[in-house]
Amino acid sequence: MTALAARVRAIPSWQVTLGFALLALGFLIAAQLRAEGPLVRYTTQERSPLVTTALALQTQQEQLKKQILDLRGQIKGVEDQGQGTTAQQRELNASLEGARIAAGLIPLTGTGIVFRLADSTHPVPPNGNPADYAVTARDIRTVMTELWLAGAEAIAVNGERVTATTGVLDIGGTILVNSAYLAPPYQVSAIGPTDMLDQLGKSQGWVAFIDTRRGHFGIDVSFAEPPTVEVPAFAGSLNLRESRAVPASPAP
Amino acid sequence: MRASLRDPRSQLLVSLVALILGVLVVVQIRSQAGDSGLAERSAQDLTLLVANLNTRNDQLRTEVSSLDRQLQALEVGGRNGTSSLNQIRDDLARIRAWAGLDPVAGRGVEITVSGAIDGLALEELINELRNSGSEAIAIEDVRVVAATVVGGGVGALSVDNTALSDRFVVRAIGNPESLVGSLTRVGGMVAQLAATYPDAAVSVEAIDRLVLPATKRDLTPSHGRPRL
Repeated sequence: MTALAARVRAIPSWQVTLGFALLALGFLIAAQLRAEGPLVRYTTQERSPLVTTALALQTQQEQLKKQILDLRGQIKGVEDQGQGTTAQQRELNASLEGARIAAGLIPLTGTGIVFRLADSTHPVPPNGNPADYAVTARDIRTVMTELWLAGAEAIAVNGERVTATTGVLDIGGTILVNSAYLAPPYQVSAIGPTDMLDQLGKSQGWVAFIDTRRGHFGIDVSFAEPPTVEVPAFAGSLNLRESRAVPASPAP
Repeated sequence: MRASLRDPRSQLLVSLVALILGVLVVVQIRSQAGDSGLAERSAQDLTLLVANLNTRNDQLRTEVSSLDRQLQALEVGGRNGTSSLNQIRDDLARIRAWAGLDPVAGRGVEITVSGAIDGLALEELINELRNSGSEAIAIEDVRVVAATVVGGGVGALSVDNTALSDRFVVRAIGNPESLVGSLTRVGGMVAQLAATYPDAAVSVEAIDRLVLPATKRDLTPSHGRPRL
């Protein structure tokens, strides 16, 4: 034993360091090969252009959203210029501001909570369904529903403002909110009362969600309560191709 | 003979290992962050994603054109000294209708559910209508807005705390052909409901004119304020 200990002590420290470095190198090579495995397996002639197209469309979408926000800002500026000229105009502008806030067209700031959801790192058992271990559109909708029940006034998912027409869609493990592709992890920001977390803790639906999705499948659900939460404006289309506002019926 | 770190060959070896290690760490990190996971998706999923992005981008372009026209009209009105009150009123009516603050009328679909389903199924139906391009939705007399919550188990269904009976109607304004097509396609929402709730009957009908009520909710935030 003493001979062995003496031999170990005799190994120069740089050789030990080199040994660890080679170990890390081996690990990284293995990780890289594993990460590239599915790419090699699934890459077909039509897939690569599809990824490029999706990324290009995503970039276009970001530019269009920015254009919309800019134009809405300019329109508000022009409308506000007339503010104060007549009482009627002042009233109209105030109503317009209120309607924009109610519609989600104005960014809000206030007290609230931010949840972060990320895919599970648990190994999928042989008879398990890998989809159960990833964040789904249903998970996002459950968090949104529970936040509304807890008193949330405004919600955004990865910067996409939730409005009356917002749908949350799953396409093969990809989540779309307002038809915008969201990359994981998912951040759900909600403005509301300071006791939202307490309210969530009292909700059977929330407790069941946490027990199942985090407890059983290992979905990573974490939260933060920063001093202020910011929720951006909806940067999409006010699609009213078929709808017409119905004039309010006169008072009897 | 014992190798020493002072030996240039040892130093070269360590440097080489460190270099490869560094390159691999960077490659690994970049490959994780590069395409937001799109490369792992199947061709079928990517095709669906591209279709969705195209549709959304078309809608956004239409919105950009509409806002551009609105801005020009407001600026012309301002330069000519003509009143822009009517333009502001139009803008207000459009936003209030979209937000659910005013009643709206238009073409759409009426979905009648006869038989007990649960809150999750109704929430899926509303989500499907939203994803299919509905402009406004109401469940019975409750206008669906962002914060509308449907819930309850089978036989105890409610929307915004208003109880629903086992026979209720969901109305949605939007392109009737698209909405009917989306709901009744093979494997669509109606088929899913029929499979999950065999005792419930779900019918979808295109309607030329629906009138949906305004929301009764107060949509003015009390904890959030506009960010300047």
